[in-house]
Amino acid sequence: MNIQDNYQKNRKNIFFSENKDIETHREKLINIFENDRFDKKNNESLKNINLKNFIDFNYKYLIPEETSVINNTHENSYSIVSVNGQCSTFKDDKIEITKILDEDYNDFSKNNTIEKNDHFVNLNSLFLNSGFKIVIKRNNKIKIKISNIVTDDDLTIFQKNNIICQEGSSLSLIEEYENKNNSTSNILNVIKLEKHSQLNHFLIQDNSSNHNLIITSHSSCKKDSTYTQKVYNFSEGYVRNFHYSELIETNSEADLQGIFFLKDNNTSNNKTFVKHLAEDCKSNQVYKGILNDRAKATYFSNTHVDQVAQKTEGYQLSKGILLSDSASYFSKPELKIYADDVKCSHGSTIGPIDENAIFYLRSRGMSKIAATKILISSFINEELSSIDNEQMSEIIQKKLVRYLSKVK
Amino acid sequence: MNSETLNTLDSYSKNKYKYGFVTDIDNEKPKKGLNEDTIKFISLKKNEPDWMLDWRLKAYSKWKKMKEPKWANLSFPEIDYQDIYYYSAPKGFEKKPKDLSEVDPKLIETYNKLGIPLEEQKVLAGVAVDVVFDSVSVATTYKGELEKLGIIFCSIGEAIQKHPDLIKKYLGSVIPAGDHSFSALNSAVFTDGSFVYIPEGVKCPMELSTYFRINAENTGQFERTLIIADKGSYVSYLEGCTAPKRDDNQLHAANVELIALEDAEIKYSTVQNWYPGDEDGKGGIYNFVTKRGLCAGKNSKISWTQVETGSAITWKYPSCILKGDNSIGEFYSVAITNNYQQADTGTKMTHIGKNTKSKIISKGISLGKSQNTYRGEVSFLRKADKARNYTQCDSLLVGNQCGAHTVPYIDSKNNTAVIEHEASTSKINEDQLYYCRQRGLSHEEAVSLIVNGFCKQVLQELPMEFAVEAQKLVSISLEGSVG
Repeated sequence: MNIQDNYQKNRKNIFFSENKDIETHREKLINIFENDRFDKKNNESLKNINLKNFIDFNYKYLIPEETSVINNTHENSYSIVSVNGQCSTFKDDKIEITKILDEDYNDFSKNNTIEKNDHFVNLNSLFLNSGFKIVIKRNNKIKIKISNIVTDDDLTIFQKNNIICQEGSSLSLIEEYENKNNSTSNILNVIKLEKHSQLNHFLIQDNSSNHNLIITSHSSCKKDSTYTQKVYNFSEGYVRNFHYSELIETNSEADLQGIFFLKDNNTSNNKTFVKHLAEDCKSNQVYKGILNDRAKATYFSNTHVDQVAQKTEGYQLSKGILLSDSASYFSKPELKIYADDVKCSHGSTIGPIDENAIFYLRSRGMSKIAATKILISSFINEELSSIDNEQMSEIIQKKLVRYLSKVK
Repeated sequence: MNSETLNTLDSYSKNKYKYGFVTDIDNEKPKKGLNEDTIKFISLKKNEPDWMLDWRLKAYSKWKKMKEPKWANLSFPEIDYQDIYYYSAPKGFEKKPKDLSEVDPKLIETYNKLGIPLEEQKVLAGVAVDVVFDSVSVATTYKGELEKLGIIFCSIGEAIQKHPDLIKKYLGSVIPAGDHSFSALNSAVFTDGSFVYIPEGVKCPMELSTYFRINAENTGQFERTLIIADKGSYVSYLEGCTAPKRDDNQLHAANVELIALEDAEIKYSTVQNWYPGDEDGKGGIYNFVTKRGLCAGKNSKISWTQVETGSAITWKYPSCILKGDNSIGEFYSVAITNNYQQADTGTKMTHIGKNTKSKIISKGISLGKSQNTYRGEVSFLRKADKARNYTQCDSLLVGNQCGAHTVPYIDSKNNTAVIEHEASTSKINEDQLYYCRQRGLSHEEAVSLIVNGFCKQVLQELPMEFAVEAQKLVSISLEGSVG
């Protein structure tokens, strides 16, 4: 079934289909699909993707019977279970959780920063069927953990979340994606950081091989705010991590990091994009990948420095290790710079594990497998040791051990 | 900073573009526009055999179906291919002069102005020059000496007549006519260029060099260069360009093919100093060049060195296909853009054979309102065991209205291959500038010195004759936008 028919047939279940503004916007999106037809040749971001799963899908969505639970476990600490992308409303003096509204949709669709031809974001806007909005109130320091659960097989979740950190607030957000059923989640996080706010965002992705996860985030940072994102992808199924960040006022910072562990026939597409639109901002984009068997990965990173964004510091690093002779890794670290007083750099390496290092360890009595495992652990040690959350650190370590046990 | 550089800067600031003059010679042209008749006219004028005409027509039919490649970060008005002369030869040049005294004195004068007096060049240290004036090869010097070694160095037109076997075998083998629209266009209408064949085991004793000049207005120059280095041979080839000042945009779409067989080495150096347009971005050359080398045999090596300072638009990716085991590809580039110039240049290293190595050093300097992009692809195919690449691309920004962009594509399909890439972008270090000023250099001198130092890694790869010229060019290119 083509996208247009699919949409018309399921309109009733889709958010905001009565709103005329949104309807016209969606018609435009349908036109884009019709004209472009997911042209792989002229769109690098579609590299390695099995598109059939995403164009020719059966739309299915179930409104969850049980509403999600919000637990205020400790002081300033919340745990949320989001079922099929929905979350019940909640309000206290520190945070507020509500459903997303028409204006949130419009607010985003009128923002032109995300590339027009990002089809997956457009699909999300078209079939939107879930999502929620979290507001962290002024000057609060909060911890939130969200578990994203999909209840049934064959579901197609199109979810849009708004996260707003008000002035002076600080949020540590852990999101878990651990699904074992045959379904597809297409999630868009729109994140706004007001003045002096801070967000530490962890995404732990560990789905089974039949679950597809497409996750896109768009964050914008105002004066003196800091956004840190860390993605840990242990999934056996397809994951697309596209993260855009805009530094719109002075002295803001964006730090986008990721590690992915791939094996078997799995693929993963990754992209980070930081746009510097004001002076004195800093950005950092670091992705590391370990690829085994016939795994394939792409990583696009991009630092865009606007003419006014003097005194910018923007760094990129991409590192890949290929453990097998059939794995492949494509990386494209881009710099687009229109201001002169900047310090920007990127580095990219792809290769096997250093033979000399293996030799060193083996000469000290270690088996080849043990040496390989130690070297993989040390390759990502920097990222793991920087996790200041003990609970998180333990979870990640366990998953790493599980991945390493399959390395031969 | 020596006094020579200062003098040069001085004279250039007074004379603007020194090479902006037009030699008044009657040009014999076909009608404007591109169709089968134009191609037949060119082929007839050059007295070509039928197989060559067929080859051109096939390329033309491919070109008709193609669109210009769009990946580059360039903006320019659409090229009207029907508004260009595709052949321009000074009258009376169908018969070639036997020596310099037979050459039109006006032409000789032109070269004197350019600083390459042929008479002197003969005496000068071992440089043989194959001068291309517009589309017909004028005079080839040092021929005799090269012939003794069995080296063939002539115009491609002559090679088609005299060495059809080599041409049939190699022309289009590295850049197929249908590769992209500019290569198809060149294959259809190329008029002249150089042909070099170095026989087995011969080390070419001198730098082979060609000076290109675009002269007649509205004439796109379509060069075709083919260099073949047979087993165990070595050749170093120099290409340098200047063009007269014009307001109309002139199209240039050259193709350069290099083939290195077993144990052979080719070194190809370019200094490109074509008319970049004036301060308002009016005029200038559109330079769409396809350069590609094939390391066909084991242990072969191809090295590209370029200094790009001219042209309104530079679209150029000298590439290496590393097919033979243990073969080496190198790319050294300095690209300077000023005023409204746009450059999208870089390289492509395709590793096919085992133990292949490549090295990329690229330095981009943007000034004024220009845009400078490095675009490079490094790919390791499945069988490229133990292949190795090192890439370094640095950009320097002078002024806050220009842009510097780096777009590398890195693709690895082999787990024993190692690739390293690093890039940085910054402005001129204030401390360095302060240090130089403190020691009595003017701001402009200091910037020139620092930029020359920034480019040194590349400039030192150039042959002696070019290195001096290139350093001057770097200083001249900075003129007017510093401070």
